[in-house]
Amino acid sequence: MSYREKIAWLSLIAMAVAYGPYFKLAAAGPGPWEPLPHLHPLGLFAVVSIVRMLILGAGYLYLRLGSPREERPLLDERDRAIEHRSISAAYYVLIAGMILVGCFMPFSSTGWTIVNAAIFWIVAAEIVHYSVVVASYRLQAS
Amino acid sequence: MVQGSISNRIRTLRFMNGEMSQAELGQRIGLTRQTIAAIEAGKYSPSLEAAFRIAHVFNVPLGEVFQWDATGTHATTRIVV
Repeated sequence: MSYREKIAWLSLIAMAVAYGPYFKLAAAGPGPWEPLPHLHPLGLFAVVSIVRMLILGAGYLYLRLGSPREERPLLDERDRAIEHRSISAAYYVLIAGMILVGCFMPFSSTGWTIVNAAIFWIVAAEIVHYSVVVASYRLQAS
Repeated sequence: MVQGSISNRIRTLRFMNGEMSQAELGQRIGLTRQTIAAIEAGKYSPSLEAAFRIAHVFNVPLGEVFQWDATGTHATTRIVV
């Protein structure tokens, strides 16, 4: 498995671990103890962001220490082609999500529902991005 | 559209050039070992520039490295990207 494929797997795992529980808790909504209306979702998002950064930081460090310098070369033309394809796929997901969130949801939802929907589509686009990267490297692996 | 596929003789040419490794070939033309492996296996179609670089390393014409199979029946030439 190439270094870039490992990085893509790491990014997918970090998102799954961080945002999976986030959306589950966000869907449950704030508890009756909530003293301030925005404290619960803001605090939750801050924790999730920190968790994701910690996973990515530790993962990068582990992969960097475990891979000799020659195994993590600069991007070549195949890496760039894969990156281009994955970003193109993610763009369509992101633009569709933003149209839904920005053009339709304001007529039916408010506040944190819209914010969480926007976060969801950003995460979905990132997942598509890294999934296409992983799938491309897998398909081309000999 | 004209149907066909591309095959290559990179593995043979590497062997004929002192069993040159994929990593060494990649280093000489600015590609990773994984990309050379993907080209060899017919899973990635290189750019024209990279193809010429490969031919230059082996000191042969481009046509001796890559061949066009108009029938498209060659087993190792399915191009993914």
